[in-house]
Amino acid sequence: MATHDFAAPAALRTREKKEVALQGALQVLAPGEALDRPDTPDEVVTAVRRLPAIPARYAPYPDGLTPRLVDALRRRGATELYSHQAEAYAHVAAGRNIVVTTPTASGKTLCYNLPVLDAILKDASTRALYLFPTKALAQDQMAELHELTAAIGATGDEEIGVHTYDGDTPQDARRAIRSRAHIVLSNPDMLHSGVLPHHPKWAKLFENLRFIVIDELHAYRGVFGSHLANVLRRLQRVCRHYGSSPQIICSSATIANPDGLAERLAEQPFSLVSESGAPRGEKFFVFVNPPVVNRELGIRRSYLAEARRVAGEFLRRQLQVIVFAQSRLATEILTTYLKDDFDDLPGMPEKIRGYRGGYLPLRRREIEKGLREGQVRGVVSTSALELGIDIGALDVSIMAGYPGTIAATWQRAGRAGRRAARSAAVMVASSAPVDQFVVRHPSYFFDASAEHALVNPDNLNILVSHVKCAAFELPFRGDESFGRVNVQEVLGVLQEAGLVHQSGHDEDAAAQQWHWTSESYPADAVSLRSVSSDNFVVVDCTGEPRIIAETDFTSALTMLHPKAIYMVEAKLFQVDRLDFEGRKAYVRAVDCDYYTDAIDYSKVTILDTFAHDAEAVAHHGEVHVVSRVVGFKKIKFYTNENVGSGELDLPEQQMHTTAYWLEVPAAVMAALPGTPDDRRDGVRGMAYAMRNVAQLLLMCDQRDLGLSVNAGDDEVPAQGAGTVTLPVPAGPAALSDTPRVFLYDAYPGGIGFSAPLYGMHADLLTRSRALIEGCGCEQGCPTCVGPIGEIGPRGKSMALHLLGLLGAEATQAARDEVPF
Amino acid sequence: MSSLADRLRGIVAGVGTGGVGGAGALAMRAAAAEAGRVVPSEAARVLGGVVVSHEAGEAIRVTRHYPAAMRHGRVTLGDVLAQVLGAPEAFAVLARAWPSSPEVAGAPTPSVDGLWLLDLETTGLAGGAGTQAFLIGGAHLSAEGITVEQWLLPGFEHERALLAVFAEWARERGALVTFNGKSFDVPLIETRYQFHRTTSPLAGVWHTDMLHPARRLWRLQGSAYGPTEGSCSLGTLEQRLAGVARVGDVPGAEIPGRYFQFVRDGQAGPLEPVLEHNRLDLVSLVLVLSAAMHRITHGPAGVRDAYEALGLARVYERAGQGAEADVAYGAAIRHLEQVGRDPATLGEALRRQALLRRRQGRAADAAASWGALASLRGAPPALRREAREALAIFHEHREGDLWAARQHAHELLSDARDEVREAAQHRLHRIERKLQARSGADLLGSTDRAE
Repeated sequence: MATHDFAAPAALRTREKKEVALQGALQVLAPGEALDRPDTPDEVVTAVRRLPAIPARYAPYPDGLTPRLVDALRRRGATELYSHQAEAYAHVAAGRNIVVTTPTASGKTLCYNLPVLDAILKDASTRALYLFPTKALAQDQMAELHELTAAIGATGDEEIGVHTYDGDTPQDARRAIRSRAHIVLSNPDMLHSGVLPHHPKWAKLFENLRFIVIDELHAYRGVFGSHLANVLRRLQRVCRHYGSSPQIICSSATIANPDGLAERLAEQPFSLVSESGAPRGEKFFVFVNPPVVNRELGIRRSYLAEARRVAGEFLRRQLQVIVFAQSRLATEILTTYLKDDFDDLPGMPEKIRGYRGGYLPLRRREIEKGLREGQVRGVVSTSALELGIDIGALDVSIMAGYPGTIAATWQRAGRAGRRAARSAAVMVASSAPVDQFVVRHPSYFFDASAEHALVNPDNLNILVSHVKCAAFELPFRGDESFGRVNVQEVLGVLQEAGLVHQSGHDEDAAAQQWHWTSESYPADAVSLRSVSSDNFVVVDCTGEPRIIAETDFTSALTMLHPKAIYMVEAKLFQVDRLDFEGRKAYVRAVDCDYYTDAIDYSKVTILDTFAHDAEAVAHHGEVHVVSRVVGFKKIKFYTNENVGSGELDLPEQQMHTTAYWLEVPAAVMAALPGTPDDRRDGVRGMAYAMRNVAQLLLMCDQRDLGLSVNAGDDEVPAQGAGTVTLPVPAGPAALSDTPRVFLYDAYPGGIGFSAPLYGMHADLLTRSRALIEGCGCEQGCPTCVGPIGEIGPRGKSMALHLLGLLGAEATQAARDEVPF
Repeated sequence: MSSLADRLRGIVAGVGTGGVGGAGALAMRAAAAEAGRVVPSEAARVLGGVVVSHEAGEAIRVTRHYPAAMRHGRVTLGDVLAQVLGAPEAFAVLARAWPSSPEVAGAPTPSVDGLWLLDLETTGLAGGAGTQAFLIGGAHLSAEGITVEQWLLPGFEHERALLAVFAEWARERGALVTFNGKSFDVPLIETRYQFHRTTSPLAGVWHTDMLHPARRLWRLQGSAYGPTEGSCSLGTLEQRLAGVARVGDVPGAEIPGRYFQFVRDGQAGPLEPVLEHNRLDLVSLVLVLSAAMHRITHGPAGVRDAYEALGLARVYERAGQGAEADVAYGAAIRHLEQVGRDPATLGEALRRQALLRRRQGRAADAAASWGALASLRGAPPALRREAREALAIFHEHREGDLWAARQHAHELLSDARDEVREAAQHRLHRIERKLQARSGADLLGSTDRAE
């Protein structure tokens, strides 16, 4: 919302003081540096960029807006709209679907609240459905809407009903919400299992549904997005049944393809609103790489210690700081560090707080309020605070570890400097390959566009689940498609299994209907956050047995195998027994100084090749993956020493999925120098680098991609999804003449990563080469080709040689420029 | 490389990996299953019904009359019907005790004229848009007998017709009686009308769900070893109340499957036991209604054991008939005292009677009930404590008998657990203070009555 600044002198002085403090802290971090300076990949501060302030652009309230709404907004201080808000309104008024991608704190929510409230004030029967990826965001937005509707002052019969509807909504309130709420704020999971299967109860909403709002659209990628696309197909089917065809308004963080993602998810055309009219204060963005402490082994100072130091410089100068950590464990550790440094005596108000998913809602609300009001000076958070929870304007955002994607990094950086004041963002890199690549190639981050968000709504496993749900909700016509998919064949197979029945005598397909013929409630069997809803529960048997956690099926075997060390909030448990059939793991609290890392072997067989390049090096196709956890390593905390291992006998996992693979031609193998073992190490070192670069290119989690190096008849299994280090092969294994490196979608049926990877083959090789060449280690380290103990002394040089032969362009000369 | 259909089969069969195992068997089963189509006239012939045509499709109507002379277990339907139709005030008690729903709560209580019953057979118990009623059973009563009308869905595409035909029949009828209809049958059928965006004939109809009175009256049953908590299903009740033993009854869990098979192969024969099951449920529901109304009409004289008397008292109490409830509690207490095997239930009866009497403003009578509870051997400790506290209050504030109050407060304290100990202590101290004050002043004073 546009609030014209006419700051009082006192406020001006506070702002000046803050700017001086910020400048001071930056000076300590990067002494003597000019604000704009060339990148220095080999130093601790690898980059300092200054992002200039941008003034606001305003637009008048459009004609035709309900005067009461305009009055209310004016009374709340918005004399005009920002240009993008007016643009969004114009699109919606013209009947178009839109995606708004303006930055954090640019008044994005008004882009949808304005047309929705306007429509409700003009016609009280209007209904809108808002979807948020989390319950907390829906609560937040409800509070904001309540303030706005209170300002409008519509009471009595005119009252605008705004309600959340989720798992926490009391049963006795649900009936009233179904019939009376104008705006229902919910999440995709609740829509999927609690609303759509009961659509007749929601008839009033669906008959009058004019707007579907999807906030934080970028959160819907991968499996979650693929499910959401199918939930939206079901939603739009139900709307058609009730005669409505709602407009869709999305908001998204900056990604490469916001309108493409929206179109893929909703299967409708979208207009993009991306030019923000909101003002932005000047921002400094600093990249920090912890100093090297052991050059041979490529070991750097702990990034958590470095993040603590950086945060300290700002906190000491009375600046308000948010620190993002990459895991719950890291969040707790950093919170402890900063509390030690800055919190007063016990009993005094806490200046430093931690924030993450496991905390109870009440505690979270308290921390958010403390941040807004300024008592909390520093917060350490997981990604939980990355989305649009209202915590006010902070001065500095520090990322302990690269957030994994360009989009998430900007999103987190945007948590500082929400008002038009000067702010700073600091990224402290860990020693993970992706972090090291980004911190040493700042231009990759600053000049490249954000990643593409990928979804695959037609993944067969996901599609079939939702066709069942859809058939339960409304019978399918004999000529009906599901979104853009022809589902008649799917329905035929469901009929074979007795789940649906085709009725109607006519030869006319339109007059035939597929009806659900099962007693089950299919939505219960589908979880939107995974491919299979099967999960394992972790039962703590130290005292009275109690459930302490759950994990999804795919990670159960690597995390919960017998003798595994399982961690919950930094407490250690050892797995006594894994009941595979019963989907339970029984654990007991232990006190030990190591954790475990599963050794996971996978074997990939090609089923079908969809495409390959002219040289038959890069391929895309369908594969069969057999994986098995065969053992585990015990790794000591802090030193990461390998202090033992164990063998395991666990069932095999199989899946069909899609893959990109690289086949090293026999001629290239023959041209490689060294022993067969050296060549093998070269292939595996290259594969290690490729997997990390692929993760960077695809905006995906490490879990999303599996890696396997396959040597034809003679398998050399490499790690599957979920493990970080390469296992040592069981015995000396010779590579076949044409070894293959598989990067596969780690979900049954594939989730859409392998096709783009195939398209990026040349990039992938070039960037892998840049990663290895740019690494300061001598013979290989976890940052480039993998730990030297596992990849062999010549792994690094052989991998580089191999990449050269495969045509990866050299980037050494231009190492500090954009490598791609 | 497997074909798309094979991969789909693998996914649907739950292999999850797209493997082909089991897919062949599935295909064979389905081929056998899809052998025929439903021919409504043929199905109607097999089931002894007629085809009813409607603009939206067809329904099969089956009508059966159960004459007054017919026996149902140990009872004759004529007697059952005479009880139901001849005791409108007993039905009014049930209706007041369980008002239909918030919307009709204030409406005048319904009469037995036009009373009808409803029971559905459905494609599942899960609810939601994909659960349908494939058989609607309705019954209406007269002195001559029970008439059961059933409407069967000859195929899913006929649902609109089925609902329309049923709506014509159900409109303009009186109060509705069901068994578990409040949470199952009525919401389910209303959802079907909402699904087709038409008006339900049940909107605003007075509805009495017999599950709730049945639970009060018959959940507990006396035995040689004390009370047993039994099932309160219709099948259990018909057996207990009238010795009805069904032969060849189709288990409820099989019912949806039989219907799915019918829509696939068109064979109506296996549905006959389902229709019979539904008809017997309706007849037994009349029996349950009649048995409950009989207890209400005849009071404690008509009950078979202490548990029925206790349940009856609670029904009366819910209906706002305190005097009858008090008598029924008294009967239950007498029975239980005579048998002497079940102090828990006896304690509960005394407590309920005491609370009722207190609400009626009969403090001394309430104290008598509390007194009996306080001295009951084997009473649940929580109930005994509640009684002693009530007695202490009664004697301290109502009677001004501080000595008696102190006695009860002492007993309460000796019995109290941590969480109530402090309050008990506090009470005892206050009584002691008052006693001291009184001994120093006017022994006859009862000035603390107003506290």
